[in-house]
Amino acid sequence: MLRNHKSETIVAMILIAPFIAIYGLIFIYPTVDMFLLSFQKAPLIGDGTWVGVDNYTRLASDRRFDTAFWNTAYFVALSVVPGTFVALFISLGISRLSGRIQALVLALFFLPYILPVSVVYRIWDWTLNFQFGIAMHVFDWLGFDRIPIFKITGWFMPAVAFVTIWWTAGFSILLFLAGLRAIPVEIYEASSLDNASRWQTFRKITWPLLWPVTALVLTIQLISQLKIFDQVYLFSTGGRPNDNLVMVYYIFQRAFVNNHGGRAAAIAVVLFIIVIVVSVLNFQLMRFAGKKQ
Amino acid sequence: MNAQNVGKINFVGALITLATIFAAILWAFPIYWGIISSLKPEDEVVRPYIELWPDTLTFQHYWFALTQTQIGRWYINSIGTAVGVTFLTVTTSMFAGYAISQLNFPFRRTLYWIILASFMVPTQVLIINHFVLIANLGLLNTWAGIILPQLIHPVIIIIYKQFFDQVPKDFREAAVMDNAGEFRILFKVYMPLNWGVTTAVSIVTFIWSWNAFLWPFLAVTKTELMTITVGITQVNDAFGVYYARQLSAAVLAGFPVALAYLLFQRKVTEAITLSAGIKG
Amino acid sequence: MKNIKKITAAAALLIGVSTTLYAEENVVWWDFLGGGDGVRMKKLISDFNEANAGAIKIDATTLEWGVPFYTKVQTSVAVGEAPDVMTYHASRIPLALEQNVLDEITPADWATMGFGEADFATQIWDGVTGADGKTYGVPLDTHPIVLYYNKDVLGAAGQLNADGTPKGMGSREEFTAMLQAIADAGSVKFPLGSVTADGNFMFRTIYSLVGQQNGELMTDGEFLAGDNAKKLENALGVLQEWTNAGLQSTYTDYPATVALFTSGEAAMMINGVWEVPTMTDLHASGKLFEWGAVELPVIFDKPSTYSDSHVFAIPKGSSQDPAKRAAVLKAISGILNESLFWATAGHIPANNAVTNSAEYKAMEPNATYSSLTANMIYDPKTPLAGVAGPIFDVMSTHFVPTLNGEMDPAEAVSAIKEDLSDM
Repeated sequence: MLRNHKSETIVAMILIAPFIAIYGLIFIYPTVDMFLLSFQKAPLIGDGTWVGVDNYTRLASDRRFDTAFWNTAYFVALSVVPGTFVALFISLGISRLSGRIQALVLALFFLPYILPVSVVYRIWDWTLNFQFGIAMHVFDWLGFDRIPIFKITGWFMPAVAFVTIWWTAGFSILLFLAGLRAIPVEIYEASSLDNASRWQTFRKITWPLLWPVTALVLTIQLISQLKIFDQVYLFSTGGRPNDNLVMVYYIFQRAFVNNHGGRAAAIAVVLFIIVIVVSVLNFQLMRFAGKKQ
Repeated sequence: MNAQNVGKINFVGALITLATIFAAILWAFPIYWGIISSLKPEDEVVRPYIELWPDTLTFQHYWFALTQTQIGRWYINSIGTAVGVTFLTVTTSMFAGYAISQLNFPFRRTLYWIILASFMVPTQVLIINHFVLIANLGLLNTWAGIILPQLIHPVIIIIYKQFFDQVPKDFREAAVMDNAGEFRILFKVYMPLNWGVTTAVSIVTFIWSWNAFLWPFLAVTKTELMTITVGITQVNDAFGVYYARQLSAAVLAGFPVALAYLLFQRKVTEAITLSAGIKG
Repeated sequence: MKNIKKITAAAALLIGVSTTLYAEENVVWWDFLGGGDGVRMKKLISDFNEANAGAIKIDATTLEWGVPFYTKVQTSVAVGEAPDVMTYHASRIPLALEQNVLDEITPADWATMGFGEADFATQIWDGVTGADGKTYGVPLDTHPIVLYYNKDVLGAAGQLNADGTPKGMGSREEFTAMLQAIADAGSVKFPLGSVTADGNFMFRTIYSLVGQQNGELMTDGEFLAGDNAKKLENALGVLQEWTNAGLQSTYTDYPATVALFTSGEAAMMINGVWEVPTMTDLHASGKLFEWGAVELPVIFDKPSTYSDSHVFAIPKGSSQDPAKRAAVLKAISGILNESLFWATAGHIPANNAVTNSAEYKAMEPNATYSSLTANMIYDPKTPLAGVAGPIFDVMSTHFVPTLNGEMDPAEAVSAIKEDLSDM
């Protein structure tokens, strides 16, 4: 292949220039600013004084940080793997259908993904409303006491995880559907001739072939849920915010309610590092599991 | 999986099909319930028994929002800014993705790693910097001000890079033989071949932009420049019991995009499936 | 860039001053008033604009109440994009001063507006005065919580006085007995409806009860000093007692509480005065029973009701142009003079002239509860207090479980004390 090195570089520069310009302005610059801010004692807006690693060392004895950290870990555990498997099984169900029924069923499962989080919040706050929510009748039918779901600490995280899975599963379902479509029909025909059971087919054929997609979905979910904020914030209003804190919510609280810009920045940096570490671990794990298939 | 159905009367199979359909109905039920509740008068909403269809069908809550607020302007602002974000993000990402994929230049790998890293930063933490920046540029209360900070979508570049990587080399070689410059190769070869990706990516970006709240809220102080997700939080004509009213506001905010989806469902499905980097 | 800005501003100033007589002053106004309040304020503004057409125009925007509004104010002031005038909560003034977002309302300003210290109740005036003795807000109203009651149900249970007010208002035992009597009459689901699912909202009731014991949240910078912790415990205790005995609604959010009352399922409700128009409107359309609103019962030693004030404030850094300032002051005083109409929103106008007038005294149920102005207790004056302040989240987290019987009051108080010192 003929390549003119110099002109290639120039062309490349031209192509990436718009991106770099915007990116530098709205990402690089504010992020560097945030790093610098984390070493200062400063309000949300305004100048601060240099305090070194003070904001970081405080975190070791910060109760709310501790709560936020473990709540985030808990939330991730509740939503990433279950969410992925819920999406997987739904897509297995959908891929068996065809034609209009399939289109309708897919639309029903995908619709929540289109909604903004504030709408998702309104709908579920209303459905699970302690006094008037329709879901309360389910408790009645099962013979339990009605439970004010979002006000009881034990129920809060699972409920928010449930709503989050409901909201975001649509996207994962589509990915799985695409992955399923990519598996050649002949393989299934061969296995049905061998009289393989449904479960065997799934374990020996579908699952391994689908693994790249599963890994992708798990990764996307993992990084997204580490950064969760909106749902937790909305469902905590008037309730028990300090018990329900997650990392980004704590950052928000420190910055916008307590007016501690420097401390909030430090927590943000810590979160950033956590996400990187988790992503690298995840990447290695996926590679290892992929080799096993 | 259709192969399994061939020729067999399948009890378990039928059960699974039924279960899927039932699950889908249950899944979408809260949305239905929210819409139905918004069509009831407030005193009916709080009745202790379940009414799956309104006793008194009323549009009063919608009427208030549609006549007493600037909802028309809010929709226009949402559409305008979402289109702006989509167009700018997709074009700049496509150019950059092409460069990283096909061209050799210094710091190419570093750039790619930085882009990957930025996927891991929650954008809420940058919001104050963005605000000060946009204010200093004098862009508060403008579409440009709403659009600019929303242009961070590193994942779009990553997607384009993946797809451009997978274009067979012969296409490129043929074009180079014809003495085509890089720009022509991009516009005449790579872009047309990946039209599906572009559609997918545009749709997803549009949805993200439409649903954004925190930034458009901070960036705008005048009612007539609010987007629908921001403006709708202002809708209120009394205190007291307001469940139906809030739900109707929620429906108004989410409705246009939901409608667009249902109309273009096929295309969207195809598009998004492609956007994960998996060929369908 | 800054120099160009300065020169442009100076030029504008000169031009502005010289063309005052010919140009209409545009007063940029932000408020957080939604709901029934918002409707009334919009009317007051449009009336003002009509009356002052050609000279002053108030350009009003309503923004979402709470953290969003205050964050926006803060960020806008920081970059010089603040409005000319805004509504604010008196309880947040100490925090606002720390954030440096408010401009002083000078004695000269007061003179221009035609108001002064004598026109407002002492407490209200105190609410807008900073630690430095300067004033930072112009009070519009106070909005306490009151006890709404269903005259029909109470009457049937024999709990009404001859003048139609509830009987058991004088002590804890009396009030609890009244609640029990209503429960025994068997016609309602809950004798008392309170917003027990919202800790922020219950702060108002709880703090009133603390005030009734002559307690305070903060003394000289220390939280719950001395026996104040015990007083808070007592307040939580009595509320928890009612919930556990089934006399008070559990885990009810705001609209649910109102719904319980208006549907007759709760005989009484503790809620803010701003629900008065809701009740009035429902009653006028024949959808509500006979109802009334009175000052909170005296559960402990003396009457005391928590209240906060809506005030008008001028953000720092907004235009120093004298003509603009004059327009802003005219706008404020214009609205203030019409605050009799504001009273239809249920609020108690801050302007003494209005509250002393015959028309106000004839307004019901306002007249029945306005006696509480003598017994109001405000938020402590600390940057940590006030609407959407840091204390909000702490209170909410511990109040909700306690009020609903999940947490022991003593435990809650010590947890609160710990959290507050951890700010």
